[in-house]
Amino acid sequence: MTDESGQIEVRGLSKSFGTVKAVDNLTFSVPAGTITGFLGPNGAGKTTTLRCLLGLIGPTSGTATIGGRAYVDLPHPSSTVGAMLEASSFHPARSGRNHLRVYCTVNGFPNQRADEVLELVGLTKAARQKVRGYSMGMRQRLGLAAALLGDPRVLILDEPANGLDPEGIAWLRRFLRRMAEEGRTVLVSSHVLSEVEQTVDSVVIINRGTLVRQGSIAELAEHEGLTVLVRGPDLDRLASALPERATAQRQDATLRITGLSTEEVGHLAFTERIELHELATERSDLEKIFFALTGDSGGPVEHFGGEGADR
Amino acid sequence: MIRLIGGEVRKLFTTKLWLWMLLGAIVLTAIFMSFTIALDGAEGNPQPPLSTPEGQRNLFSVVGGSGVFVLILGIIGITGEFRHQTVTPTFLATPQRGRVVVAKLVTYALAGIGYGIVVVAFAIALALPWLAVKDIDLSLPDNGIPGVLVGTVVGLAVYSMLGVGVGALVRNQIAAVVGSLVYLFVVEAFAAALPTIRDYYKYLPGGANSALTGASQPGTTLLEPWQGGLLLVAYGLVFAIAGTWLAVRRDVS
Repeated sequence: MTDESGQIEVRGLSKSFGTVKAVDNLTFSVPAGTITGFLGPNGAGKTTTLRCLLGLIGPTSGTATIGGRAYVDLPHPSSTVGAMLEASSFHPARSGRNHLRVYCTVNGFPNQRADEVLELVGLTKAARQKVRGYSMGMRQRLGLAAALLGDPRVLILDEPANGLDPEGIAWLRRFLRRMAEEGRTVLVSSHVLSEVEQTVDSVVIINRGTLVRQGSIAELAEHEGLTVLVRGPDLDRLASALPERATAQRQDATLRITGLSTEEVGHLAFTERIELHELATERSDLEKIFFALTGDSGGPVEHFGGEGADR
Repeated sequence: MIRLIGGEVRKLFTTKLWLWMLLGAIVLTAIFMSFTIALDGAEGNPQPPLSTPEGQRNLFSVVGGSGVFVLILGIIGITGEFRHQTVTPTFLATPQRGRVVVAKLVTYALAGIGYGIVVVAFAIALALPWLAVKDIDLSLPDNGIPGVLVGTVVGLAVYSMLGVGVGALVRNQIAAVVGSLVYLFVVEAFAAALPTIRDYYKYLPGGANSALTGASQPGTTLLEPWQGGLLLVAYGLVFAIAGTWLAVRRDVS
């Protein structure tokens, strides 16, 4: 399934709501068969971009295509792209099963397909219950079930981890991995890098409607410089032995080195005969890079351009 | 298109709204008919007596008043999609939005016919024994009642479509329902009562519906039933076309 038909292309996409530029000349692509994180703070324009891609919002300029076609021109949209947008697009008085069956009828799928996808997301027991009684996590699962109805090769998920408890997030990770293993293209948005960091192959980071960075997680870390953490009894000597391109910062019993890989630091310590007790890279630094890229200082995520800009 | 209509039918019957609206239509019919029969011949009642064909036609034409319930059914049928955001999966499954609106128009027209048949059957079941008890002879079919009943069914079908059209235009459920009710019961009531303006009442949707069901109203003139029917269909189409035109262009966010 790694053919062209699953490729997502966004070219020069712009969308303004009145005077607010929600998306501003955004260009990126998602190769078929990969799982990509679409990241940015709330209000960065993620939802607007995804809605343009799905033909729900008309862009002010630019194009967004799936397999080279605009969503509206897809001959069998539900069998090509599965999407989950807002947390709850269900009638509260309708059961989850009936909700899915409506779209089975519209798409010409057999009724039992509804039960299959409910099984897939673990909602079989709640199938006949009205959505009114569903928890947030159950609604997210029902949204995923609806997206999977047509067994699409492309999945577009907007903040699927929102409102999930840690167990639900773990379940979502396994679920997304499985979707990727099945060869589907997955574009999953989030405003929290750590939610998707372990799952995605690459990331597209946007802020204020424009592209900040696109690449693999490894490239992202490399480009911005990973921090190497070193502990040992003689850190001062190690710090003075570092080459010029490296910078070091002493923090209690730990030395934080940027500009060198763990291999280089280890080799240096070996040749200088410096005793080390710990040599590691700082994973959480990705989060810092993310905040640095999106112009956020690491505090609570601010809303750029107000609520309306992300809708 | 058959699949789309099937989907709309499924939406309609997987919540209980259709049942409540049907009950409402039946209860309203029961109230209107009971009052009309009970007050027959009472002092100061301006209505023609039930012993005349005109009085009998008027009795059955009150069934058309239940059109307000199918109007609301149609409004909620489309505004509910916006209210509960089911419009997102609906338009994702069918990105050609015009087809969705057409499927809804067809579905609700059929629903309106179904409601009409049920309500008319109820009205007959209520009136015939009661009139028999009162020794009033229905001179069927010469009194024009079959025409009134057919007009009622057609009126309900068109009111239902009108609701879909209004809902597509307004989108906000409360605004659409309240606006329609205020229009029908306040604006049109005024229009029917005020001199000079009331000459135009017959061209308004409510007036057209009254014409369709063949009721006579003291002090106003109405169109011929077929003219009223055509006018009502035209209103339905205008709202539906305008609503579709907007639905295709507006962002769904």
